[in-house]
Formats: sequence, structure tokens, C-alpha cells
Amino acid sequence: MPELVTLTIDDREVQVPKGTGLVETAMGAGIEIPVFCYEPRLGPAVGACRMCLVEIEGMPKLQAGCTMTAQDGLVVRTAATSDKAAQGQNATLEFLLLNHPLDCPVCDKGGECPLQDLTFRYGPGTTRMVFPKRTFDKPIPISPTIALDRERCILCYRCTRFSEGVAEDHQLVPRNRGAQTLITTFEEEPYRAPFSGNVIELCPVGALTSTQYRFEARPWEIQNVPTVCTMCPVGCNVTVTTREGKVKRILSRNHPEVDQGWLCDKGRFAFSHLRAEDRVTQPLRRVRRRGFATISWEEALDETERVLRGAGGRIVTALSGSETIEHAYGLAKLLRTGLGAHSAVLPEETDVAIDAFRLPLSAIRGAELIVVVGDDPVAERAPVVDLWLKLARRGGAEVVTIGAAGSVLTAPGSAAQTCRELAGSGSELGRRLRESERAILIWSSPGGHGGAEIAALAGELGFAGKPGSGAFHLPATPNGRGVADAWAAASDDEGPNPEPIAVLVVSGDEAASDPHVRALAERAETVIAIVMFERVALGWADLVLPGTSYLERDGTAMNLEGRLQRLRRAAIPPVADELSWLSQLAARFGVDVSPYPAPVFEELAGTVYGGLTLGELGERAALAERAQIPAPAPDPDTEPARPSDGHYLNLLPYRPLFAGAAVERVPELQFQRPAAEVELSWDDAQRRGISSGDEVLVRSNGTSATLRARLNRRLLPGVVRIADEHARDLHATVEVTKP
Amino acid sequence: MYDEIQEIKAQYPRTRSAVLPALRIAQQRYGWLTPDALREVADALDETPAFCQSVASFYDMFHLAPVGRRLVEVCTNISCALVGAQQVLEAFEQELGIRAGETTDDGQVTLRALECAGGCGWGTVVAVDHRYREPVRPEDVPAIVQEVRDGG
Amino acid sequence: MAASEIVLAGAADRDLTQIDAYREVGGYATLDRARGMGPQAVLDELLTADIKGRGGAGFPMGRKASFIPKPGQNPNPTYLTVNADESEPGTFKDREIMLRVPHRLIEGCLITAHAIGSRNVFIYIRGEYLREFEIIRAALEQAHGAGLMGDVTIVLHRGAGAYICGEETALLESLEGERGQPRTKPPFPAIAGLYASPTLINNVETIATVPAIVEHGGAWYADQGTEGSRGTRVFSLSGNVRRGGNYELELGTTLRDLIYHHGGGLPGSRRIKAIIPGGSSVPVLTADDIDTPLTFEAMADKGTFLGSGAVIVIDDRCCMVQLGLRVAQFYMHESCGKCTPCREGTRWMVQILRKIEDGRAEQAELDLLLDVCDRILGKCLCPLGDAAAMPIASYVDKFRAEFQAHIDAGGCPYKGESSLERVFAPVDQHTHHPTVEVPA
Ligand SMILES: Cc1cc2nc3c(=O)[nH]c(=O)nc-3n(C[C@H](O)[C@H](O)[C@H](O)COP(=O)(O)O)c2cc1C
Ligand code: SF4
Ligand code: FES
Repeated sequence: MPELVTLTIDDREVQVPKGTGLVETAMGAGIEIPVFCYEPRLGPAVGACRMCLVEIEGMPKLQAGCTMTAQDGLVVRTAATSDKAAQGQNATLEFLLLNHPLDCPVCDKGGECPLQDLTFRYGPGTTRMVFPKRTFDKPIPISPTIALDRERCILCYRCTRFSEGVAEDHQLVPRNRGAQTLITTFEEEPYRAPFSGNVIELCPVGALTSTQYRFEARPWEIQNVPTVCTMCPVGCNVTVTTREGKVKRILSRNHPEVDQGWLCDKGRFAFSHLRAEDRVTQPLRRVRRRGFATISWEEALDETERVLRGAGGRIVTALSGSETIEHAYGLAKLLRTGLGAHSAVLPEETDVAIDAFRLPLSAIRGAELIVVVGDDPVAERAPVVDLWLKLARRGGAEVVTIGAAGSVLTAPGSAAQTCRELAGSGSELGRRLRESERAILIWSSPGGHGGAEIAALAGELGFAGKPGSGAFHLPATPNGRGVADAWAAASDDEGPNPEPIAVLVVSGDEAASDPHVRALAERAETVIAIVMFERVALGWADLVLPGTSYLERDGTAMNLEGRLQRLRRAAIPPVADELSWLSQLAARFGVDVSPYPAPVFEELAGTVYGGLTLGELGERAALAERAQIPAPAPDPDTEPARPSDGHYLNLLPYRPLFAGAAVERVPELQFQRPAAEVELSWDDAQRRGISSGDEVLVRSNGTSATLRARLNRRLLPGVVRIADEHARDLHATVEVTKP
Repeated sequence: MYDEIQEIKAQYPRTRSAVLPALRIAQQRYGWLTPDALREVADALDETPAFCQSVASFYDMFHLAPVGRRLVEVCTNISCALVGAQQVLEAFEQELGIRAGETTDDGQVTLRALECAGGCGWGTVVAVDHRYREPVRPEDVPAIVQEVRDGG
Repeated sequence: MAASEIVLAGAADRDLTQIDAYREVGGYATLDRARGMGPQAVLDELLTADIKGRGGAGFPMGRKASFIPKPGQNPNPTYLTVNADESEPGTFKDREIMLRVPHRLIEGCLITAHAIGSRNVFIYIRGEYLREFEIIRAALEQAHGAGLMGDVTIVLHRGAGAYICGEETALLESLEGERGQPRTKPPFPAIAGLYASPTLINNVETIATVPAIVEHGGAWYADQGTEGSRGTRVFSLSGNVRRGGNYELELGTTLRDLIYHHGGGLPGSRRIKAIIPGGSSVPVLTADDIDTPLTFEAMADKGTFLGSGAVIVIDDRCCMVQLGLRVAQFYMHESCGKCTPCREGTRWMVQILRKIEDGRAEQAELDLLLDVCDRILGKCLCPLGDAAAMPIASYVDKFRAEFQAHIDAGGCPYKGESSLERVFAPVDQHTHHPTVEVPA
């Protein structure tokens, strides 16, 4: 229990734990200390803007309230009871407004702008500034997603502090000194970093605005819907702003255990895929080899029914892992109980054993030792987790990454072996993990066995008995666990894998884009695809049923922590919702599927989630207690890549964060997608006379790609990294040469 | 340059402390901090070019635009100004045919005014490539310019 | 005079940049003695000496050093940082110390490091000081060669042109490789300074005084000067005087003595109009104050500060509005841009002063100028804002008639004859970015 202190603010006595920020202390007592630069998530207060000046008894000068903490006996006066403090705030506002344009009527921030509000409350009524204001070219794009209006900037440095101290991308920086200071990137290059969009939300004025949102809406015309992003397995809590039913922007909704109020740019900016020009809005039937004809819903349901009935149970279902739990359950119930079709390609699995080591993501911040195993950068798989790791590191935690580009270098594909070694008695790091009370393990590598591996390791290290230690598996899909749960809940029966496949049902654009699913489709007589985008299905699907986006759905999803979260429909889909037609279709097979998510959830929650109801999830869902599950035995036969012989290099493909059908349809996000690059270690590049930026030929048995070289001093020699979209046909070992 | 910067890094408990010396080395090599020079420094320090540029732009001695091979600076802060710094500056402007802040057409000499150089008792202080001449009077200027032009 | 020299002692007739010469005048002997004493004993001498910091703020050095946690009280290493960033207009004493008695500075560093249990010393030297850098570097090599360093390393770190880096926390930021923007205090550097570790920061002159204090004892040192201002100071004399330069004098010497006796008075038949007693940041004095003793307390009585000990003499040819404008331009140029009042206020001051000087200002703008100063004063993150506001307000206060004359006559009463006429300030010339507009 922290010590309580008593202080007086504006003659009111307040009691708070010692060390509470003065701004928060005052707020708790209903007293405002206005701020601009202060934002505790950006690190220690910097006291730059001087908006928060308060008078403290016994101190001759005004103090920056934001830099102070509650101490016993402190007597504080804000502008409400101190003329001196009021004069200080008035002075700060006058200074801030000196060079600030009066363009509120055309500013996106107008109506939700702290500067506007505070000026109204504390500011000078008239201006005494008669000189020309500072002028700049404006607005300038600092990236395709963010516009900067330097004239509006009040130099609070929130944005640059975010870039430097939270995202640690060091790309958005202040340049020059004094009154000439401005916010910029290097040589006008775009601010290209996974979390760039957060600066829009951080900016307390209209200096940094979203290019997507510019002139799109006014605060009194909008509606805000609280939901959850399911573009990746983190499940950040978001607010979706809509106007006239259209999504206009996505803001963070700060779940302190999940996202701390940060979003990645995919979650923030990808929503315009809802309006993609190839969005499927009607059922389609294949005509000719590469074409579709629109058909009516009635025809579509008839056709689907006919095809499914004719399959004689020889049906395989491929799921994306981005469905809501309810969609997946509806589909599963139809296919499994209605048609006995138990064969499915499920998303990358997360073993339930991990639930014995469950922690909220926010526990990472408090850890002292964190070990990340695997070859995938955390930011590509579960972006916000990377911010938690950075926060932990800044707070003094030791973060060890073990992989082909880690702080400890291992051969690609060695994650399982690494776990084995850490569990062994010879490992020093393993010993420290075992001894720590606050240690965290994270699996960040492809392959469904990761959850079991990391859980097995956590078990070996004795984490089960330590509430401060835990393990995370970063799965490949946003709701893989929920979808697997739903599939399992629908039936206990099993069936053989059908051969040949009569019907392949592909649920979602991610599954439809998966090369393995495509390979299955080659072998299927008929393919039914439920997708949002026509081009994804073009040329191989026989019947296309329109899909919806997570922003158009009600339902639930389970994130990588194992937290069930509630999605709320923010936009009305231009097509029938999956559950509604699934319900109709199921009825034709005598299967009862409700068209509404709540009863569907209730039904399946009865079996798998202990009778939880949707209402209990709330706006910021809680994390369930740790489960008591015995740790699984590790999978014995995983094998890392053989070390490179120097000539041939091991190819390490990775799936970039900015990839996938939705991202491909957002013009503003194209710059974030990985360039056609091959990352080489310093040694390998030197040996081949390759420098960064050179064009090189990457070849493997019969296939080749011309890519630009990028040197990565952290990469294990003998390994090359290529984004999977640029590594398509290459094999596991490649040659890299200068043409 | 990479290796040289690694050595400097070793002097400090945190490598970022080497940024000013590293930028100085790069500027010496390239004359000014070209985008490529900044990229090189960034690589050697494991920082971003944006960071390096941000730091460089804070300090007056780093050039983020091309400058002449020689740098002539005249202190015009109050102590020097009281004893005729403006006349000295103008003598340089006349002699070099450029205004303060500019570089001669042949790219040889950049002239600028400087804040207090720390030679106030012996004003006017003129620094040629950071070597102080003090005191300088307007009549000394032609000889200094000649010397600079001759490479002295 | 020579008899009272402590910091510069012996340098008049010898080249003390050479270690042998320095040893001949007793150099480095005190280091040996100090190392034989316990750290606390050395600290006690500094406390007894009651020497106030020579960098500007005048905080007692011994007390500051005592704030440094003792070994075992803080897990982090302790740092000593010497402030050799001397950039306050009018000040050039540290430069002279480094040029002429570099070994005294080094010896001071080593003794002080011993006193506070530090093994890492950084000397942050102003970037423009090239020769001084070379001399200190050479002296350091000699000290190394002579095996004097013990387990202490001294890193000579060069600045790169930013006045604000003289402010101690900005200096630390700069030394850590950041833009040199001051930090909020607390925490104070003594607790969390360089690399978040306990750090003692002192001015060159302060540190260069340490050997003498330890050699002769704190009591001996405290005997000199006045009760509130012990010892000597190296005063930098400049402006309209015959013999500008540095004079190390006992504290308590009067301005008259410094200016007329040592500085030879004003050239020609000029009369003193104003005296800046402690660097450009401090409020101005007038000719009537000529008998004020150079002490912290006497200056405080006059509403000003001894500051960095830089005395600037201004004769009757100088237009005070031009002086104000030039000083304001300096602070605008050097404002780091972190906090609002300083960044915006200094620019506004320049704009208003320019308008007054040009004779375009209205009556209300004179009051506006004072109000802007008032709105900066005491509201900034670091003292730079005050350093801009205080002197300008004092110029208006003490020479209001002259400001008024500009407004009444619609122009400068000096009609082009002022010594600061047209003076060009760096803020008007350089920018790293083409789209930034500088003030009209
Ligand atoms: C804007 C500003 C500039 C300063 N410049 C210097 C300087 O150039 N040299 C210096 O020693 N102290 C300077 N100081 C004072 C330092 O902050 C600090 O007080 C001093 O270095 C402490 O050393 P001392 O106690 O030995 O005087 C400056 C302070 C401010 C606010
Ligand atoms: S752009 Fe916005 S967040 Fe960044 S410094 Fe300016 S006002 Fe602050
Ligand atoms: S909020 Fe306190 S200084 Fe900005």
C-alpha cells in the first residue's frame, strides 16, 4: 500500500498516494490544471509548454504543475484561486497564439481542440500581436497518411517525443533551434514507421492531421462506436468515427492492459478497404475461365445448397482466423452438424496450455527479464506488443531476443530448439528465468506448435507458480483461437480427410489468399469463397458469397492474451451479414443458427466459455484467470535450418505487418509495404561486394528475383530476409549475386 | 569513418554521446553535412539520419547547406559591436563582395556574423576557420581576405 | 593585482601550459596532498573556503559538492563535469584560464574528482574554442604522461555552437548526444545528472580555484574578498574601455577601480552611460553606480547580479534601444525552443524593439514590451528567458526617456551616429531551412 499524503489544491484538501502526479491529483478533485505537452505515456514530464503553471505556497516562482507530484502538506493554487497562476496561463496562451493562425473554422481539429478550448477558458480576448506571423508552406504531407501544418504547431514536442521515446523510430524530429524550430522528417522523406499515426491523436492542435480525415467531418456530425480492431492478434480497443454510416477514422480507445492507447497504422488507416472498388456486394458465379456474373441471393443460396448437398460430405473448410467467433460457429454448425463436414484448415493454432501462464500484455512493462524466441520481428506479428517491449526496456527490463536477427543469433527455425536449451540445466539465461519472479517469454515465429513449445518451456521454468511470470504466443491470425474454439464447439465428431475434395469452402480473404488454400482449391471440384474482394476470388472460385469486415460486425474475438473482446458494428455493411444468410442456409439443412450474434455467442459460450454472456465482456474486457492446465510435451521433431555453407544462404521469409488483401486496397498505406528488398548480413554483403541499395539477383533452383539489397548489421551471417510477397517462388536456400 | 566513430563511442558510457564528435568528423570530410554524410554518421552510431540531422541543426557550427572552403566569422555581439564590429563586418562584405551569411561565387569563402566569440576585451574578434584574430579593425580586413584567399 | 592572483597566479612570467613550468610553481603538489587526505577532508576545505560558483549562478561550490551521494549511497557512478562552454556575452575569462593555466584546471578536476569519489570527468568545452581545446588536450597528454591521472579519466568534449549548452542541464543533454535543451529540475544533477547519475557541474574558474584552496586551506581563501563574496575573480572587462581584458582581482574591488585603474578608463573624452556588471543577462547599472563594489551582495543591492563577472562598459554614443535590440536578438537566436514563453517571447521582444528603433512604434508598445518581459520573467523552464527579459526591462526602466524619444520623434535620436548603428545579428542570417521566416 503506498503511503497516502494530504495536500491542498485551491483550498480543497485532497488525499492521494504519495507521488501521484499533480495534474492527476487535481483532476481527481475536479480541478483542472490545463496541459499541452504533458502526456504521461510519453515518459517523464518535460515541462515545456508552461500551460500548467500553478502557484505553490513557499515557492516564489510559478511552477509547472505537470512536473510535480503530490507531497504531504503541499499547498497549490491554480488559476481558479491565484491571480498569479491565472496571469501565467494567460501569458502562455498569448505566446502560443502569437503565431498560431486563426483558421479554426477550416481546421479539422476545430471543435475537439484543446488549444481552442483553453483559449476560450483562460485566453486573452484580443491579440496584441501586430507583426507578421511565422509562415510556412502548408499543409505538407509528412507521409501519405499524415499532413503537417507547421503554422498551427505549438511546439509541444508530443509528436517527436512519441517518435523518439515510445515508438523509438526516431524519424519525426524537431529541426533548428528556438523560434525557428519545426517538426520534420529526414530530407522530407515520408514518416514511415508502424506507429506513425499515433502522432495525429497526440497532437493537441490541428498541426498533425489525418489525410484520410481531412475535411471529412465536423465533431457535431459524427458518431463514435467503441469496438475492437482485429487486424492482428493484439485486439487493440478502438473508437470508430462514422459520419452518415461511413467510417471516417479510427482512434484509440485505450485499454490500459492491452494497448495503452496506441494503435499501429494498419489498425488506424486500413479501414478504407471497406470502400474498395472490387468489393463484392452481390453473390457471384463463375462464368468462363476468368470472369464472374452477378446472381441474386436466392440463386446463390440455391446454388450453395445444391453444391453442398451434392458433395456427399466430401467438404473441406478453410478458415481465415479473422472471423468473429459467432461467424465461425455459424459456419461450423452448418457444415459439421448439417453436412458432417468435419475437415477443416484451421488458422495457426495456439495451444490452450498457454492459458496456464496467462498475463495481460501490460505485465510486460513490469517484467525484469523478457525473452523473445523466434525469427519474426514482434512488430510484424503483433505490433503493439513491440511497444510494450520497448516500454519495458526503457524501464530497465532486460529484453533478450533469440533468432536470426536477434540479440542472440541462432539459425533460422531454431525457436523450438532454443526453448529446449533454455529449459536445460546448462543454460545461464534459463537459470535466470527460473529465478526471476517477473520473467516473460514470448514466441514470435511461424508454426502452430509455438504456443505449446513456449508453454512447455514456461512450465519447465516453474512459471506456473509465479503470478508475475508468464508466456505469450504471437499467432499469425487475429482470432485464430476464437475460431478454433468455435469450430470445436460445433461438434465433437471427427471425419476422415475427404479425397477427392468435392467442395472447398473458403472463409475470408486471408484464407483465400493463402497459397496452401489455393493449392487445395486446385484439387477441389467446386470452390465456394466468402470474400470481400472480387479479385481475391477471381480465376479459381466458382461461387462467391460477399464477406464483411470486422468494422461491420457484431460479435466477439479472442486476442493473443486469451482475452475475449466485444466487436460492435460501426458501419452498416453494403451486403447481408454472414450470420444472416448462414442462418437461412443452415435452416435448409435443418440446422438452427440464429441470425444474431448474441444468441449464437450464448449457445457456444455455454460449451466453451463457461456460460459467459456478451454483456459481461463490457467495453474494456477483463482477462480471465489463469487456467490450470498441465504443460504439454514439446514436439520432438522440429529441425532448424542447416547452417549456410557460405555460398548458399538460408532464406528467411517473413510476413510483413503491412500486407494482406485489406492493406493492398488502401492507397495511402502502400508506402508502408516492404520494398522489393533482400536483407543481407554485413559479412555476406561484404564478401559479395554488395552495398546497401545495390540491385542484386536472388536465385534458387530454377527461380530468381531481382531485389534491392539492404544491409542489416544485426542479421545472422548466412541468412537473408525477404518479405514473403517478394520471396514467392524462392526456395529455402538461395544464392545472392550482383548482376 | 565508421571505425573512427566506433573509437569515439568507446570513450562514453552511452554511444549517443558520440554524436557531436561524429558529426564533426563527417563535416570535416565532406565540407558540410550532406544527406549522405548524415546517413553515414547514423549508420556508424546506430541512429537514424533524422536524429542526426535534428541534433546537427541545433548547433550553429554544423552546416546543413553547402558552405565555402573557408569560414570567416565576425563577432557582432555587444562588446565587439560597441567597438566597431559592424564596420569590420562591412569591410569583409565589401572585400569579398558578399553579404553576411553568403558564400563567394567561387565557393571559396563563407562570411557570417557570430554571436559572442569570447574575446570581448579585444574586439572586434574575427575567426577564420575558428582561429581567432583579435582585435581586428576595418583597415586590417583586406590583408586578412588576401591571406584567406591565398590559403593562409 | 598580481599579488591577489590565485587562478592565474604565476602565468604572467611563465608559460604554464608546460607541465614542468607548472610544477616549478608548485603545480600538482596539492594533488598529491589531496589524495593523501580523505575525500571528506577535501570537501571540508571547500566548504570552509565558501567559494561561490563562478559560472553565473553563484551557488556555493562546497555545498553543491556535498550533495553528491557518498559511495554506497547510489549504485550509479559519479561524474564530474566541467562547464567550459563560456558563451555569455562579455565573458572570456575561462578561455584565458584554459589558455594560460590549463594544468591548474586539470589539477582542480583531479582534486575535485577525488573529493566526490568520481572517476569520470568530462570537460565540456565550447566548440568555437579551438585553440583552447588544443591546449587542454596537450596538457592532458602531459598529465597522462606524468602518471598523474590515477584511476580517473578526463574526456574533453567539444560543443558545437549553442549558448544554451552552458546551462547545466542543457550541457548534460548535449553531452549525452541530444539537442541541448534544458531539463526540468528536480531532479538536480547532483542526484540524477549525466546518464541519470550523480553529477557535479562546475565552471572552469571554480574548478581552477580548487588547488589553491586545498593548498593554502579554506580559511586562507575565505579571508580574501568580503564576507558574502570570498576570494578573487577573474573579471572580463570589455566595451568602451582603453584596456579591455581579464583582471583577476579580489572580490570587493569597485567598478571604478576595475574600469579606470585597471582598464585605463574610456577612450577619448567619452563618458560612461551604462555598465553591465555580470554579462549580458543582468540588469544594467548607470554611471552613478561606478563605486559599487564587485561583490554578489552589492550587486544584489543594486538590483542586478555579478553573474559571470563580465563587465561591459557602454559610453554615451550608444543608443540603448539598439543595445536592447541587439541583446534581444542574441537571446532569440540562442533560445533553445523548448518552452513557450522563451521561444515566442524573445522573438516578440525583437519585433517590438525593432519597431521602436525604427520609430514606428506607438506609445502602448513601450508598455507592451515591459509586459512581454514580465510575462517571460519567472515562467520559463530555464533561466534563459529571464536572462533576456531582465536586461531589456532594466534598459527601459533606467533609460526610459531614450525609448520615449524614439516614439516621440518617430526615429532614433542618434540619427545614425550610435555605436551600435545597423549592427547585424546572426539571427538575421542563418537558417537551416528555407521556409522559415525570420522576423521583419
Ligand atoms: C543560459 C545559461 C547559460 C549559462 N552559461 C554558462 C557558461 O557558459 N559557463 C558556465 O560555467 N556556466 C554557465 N551557466 C551557469 C550554469 O548553469 C551553472 O550554474 C554553472 O556551470 C555551475 O558552475 P559553478 O557553480 O561553478 O558556477 C549558464 C546558465 C544559463 C541559465
Ligand atoms: S505538430 Fe502537434 S504534437 Fe507535434 S509539436 Fe506541433 S503541436 Fe505538438
Ligand atoms: S503541461 Fe506542464 S509544461 Fe506543458
